[in-house]
Amino acid sequence: MVAGRFILKFAPNAVEKLAANKRVVLISGTNGKSTTSKLIAEALRTKYSIAHNHTGANLFAGVAAALGANSDAQVAVLEVDELVLPWAIEKTKPELIVLLNLGRDQLDRLSEVRIVSNKWRNSLAGQTVLASTDDPFVVFAANAAQKRIWFSASEKGHIDAATCPECGKLLNWINDGANFNCECGFAKPDANWTLRGDVLNHQFKVNSSIPGAAALQNAARAFIVANEFGVDLEAANTAIGSVRAVDGRFANKKIGQTNFRLLLSKNPASWRETLKTSSSGPSDVLLIVNANTQDGKDTSWLWDVDFKVLQGRRVLVSGDRKVDVAARLTVDGISHEVVDNEIEASRIFGATNADIIASYTAFHRLANK
Amino acid sequence: MIKIVNLLPELLGTYGDQGNVATLAWRLNQRGIDNQIVQASAREPIPTDGDFYLLGGGEDDAQVAAVEILRRDNSLEKALSRGAHLFAVCAGFQLLGNSFPASGNRIIEGLGILPIITETATPRSVGELLLDSTIGVGQLTGFENHGGQTRFIDKLQPLGIVKRGIGNHADEASDGAVTENIIATYMHGPALVRNPKLADFFLARKLGQLAELSESVDAVFTELHDSCVARAER
Repeated sequence: MVAGRFILKFAPNAVEKLAANKRVVLISGTNGKSTTSKLIAEALRTKYSIAHNHTGANLFAGVAAALGANSDAQVAVLEVDELVLPWAIEKTKPELIVLLNLGRDQLDRLSEVRIVSNKWRNSLAGQTVLASTDDPFVVFAANAAQKRIWFSASEKGHIDAATCPECGKLLNWINDGANFNCECGFAKPDANWTLRGDVLNHQFKVNSSIPGAAALQNAARAFIVANEFGVDLEAANTAIGSVRAVDGRFANKKIGQTNFRLLLSKNPASWRETLKTSSSGPSDVLLIVNANTQDGKDTSWLWDVDFKVLQGRRVLVSGDRKVDVAARLTVDGISHEVVDNEIEASRIFGATNADIIASYTAFHRLANK
Repeated sequence: MIKIVNLLPELLGTYGDQGNVATLAWRLNQRGIDNQIVQASAREPIPTDGDFYLLGGGEDDAQVAAVEILRRDNSLEKALSRGAHLFAVCAGFQLLGNSFPASGNRIIEGLGILPIITETATPRSVGELLLDSTIGVGQLTGFENHGGQTRFIDKLQPLGIVKRGIGNHADEASDGAVTENIIATYMHGPALVRNPKLADFFLARKLGQLAELSESVDAVFTELHDSCVARAER
């Protein structure tokens, strides 16, 4: 990253130059950027040499560093922060942009979902996108692209999309949230690729070794990108299935006698997904919530997540904002205990398997330790 | 049976606003007071027989859609005239006034229930908000995040004097508004979770003197309040 900052400072055109001789794929969205990028990088690596910001550094310097670190690569697979995407499109002239999803996240930094969706839309003229039909904000942005490859994971509803991104009127959610339309003409597009269970277009069984439904969707996206790039699909699918952990997510970590599995959660949508994924895991779980800049400084979002799925598990709570979490669990009637840190948690859990679900800064402290 | 009506949660619920609803119900439950929560959705008639109404925060388009529904429906005014009490936060506070701004340089007519006007202001007001309450419940803590700033255009009691943060307006050290049956504020947090005394004050205005919750039952909320106040004072 120091290298990335250096590149940007002393050679402001370097990103254009480094990207000029590469086929570039950009990946952006609220959740799943790192996992999807990793899966795409591995799928394409079966045929091409790859530049990839594998550490999740997805701001200006991270993009520059990834391009600079592997300047001879044929293909660059770059995850990009939602607000950095317009800059990255302008600088790297991507062949394909993967638009994942948009949901409430760090409202103190990103402000409104609609504003982000609008910024995307204004940057997509002339571009080719692989975009999710399930998310009205992604559809609104992607409609401005020249070529659209539509992907549906058969998801239902969207907590932030009560109104139409196009005209602001109430959006009609029909068929139990499987479809949406508006009187202004805005509507859910027909998908070119549809994922049902783990099968794409009734035809391809998608490999995923990372737990959870979201990871399976991201594996399907990697499969579609591999198809676009003319990669042998069987080889791509094997490569996708070989990825077990991305940047510490779902990695195992032994603390004291306890075998912890590390799960990252960043915003209401990812907490809901992670709590669901974790509920099929061990009974013991430690929640660690901080509120530093990268976590979002406000903890109001805790109330946008239903914690009742923790009912019946042994729940411990720590982190800078453990009291906020304890108040949340108290109102939901989830019995829990507040601890100072993961070491105290391991003393309580003892020799067993347990999940740690942690916010961004807490997760990275543990993943890097 | 006490009825708590959460108004238009899919439009004005962007910011943990269910926390205010859930906390009121929890505090009533702790006292053995029967209650029910009604989620009054945008596509159904809004009940007028509620005891407590809540309006939360929301994005521009959602705020505009919400004010159109509330104006057409008129049920909030009906409920208030029948003695209901209202707690409104941020976008919900703004739409009670004469007008508020929306995207595309629009000025939207509010419900005219409070004598306030909200205008666009840059930069956004984002961060911890700390108040000295004007209603005798000590310090109040919340997190503000709003693009508009609000002025009183007639005599009105603020909810608190701003010790840290912006509140209603950068030129004035006050936040929110209090009338006979309305408490409004820019404090997210959610405010009624972070400020248990404010939650009880709101309930008691309608229900009369409430039994105190025991220290141990309320401990986590008291600790949350005190830790948030201490953080804001740093």
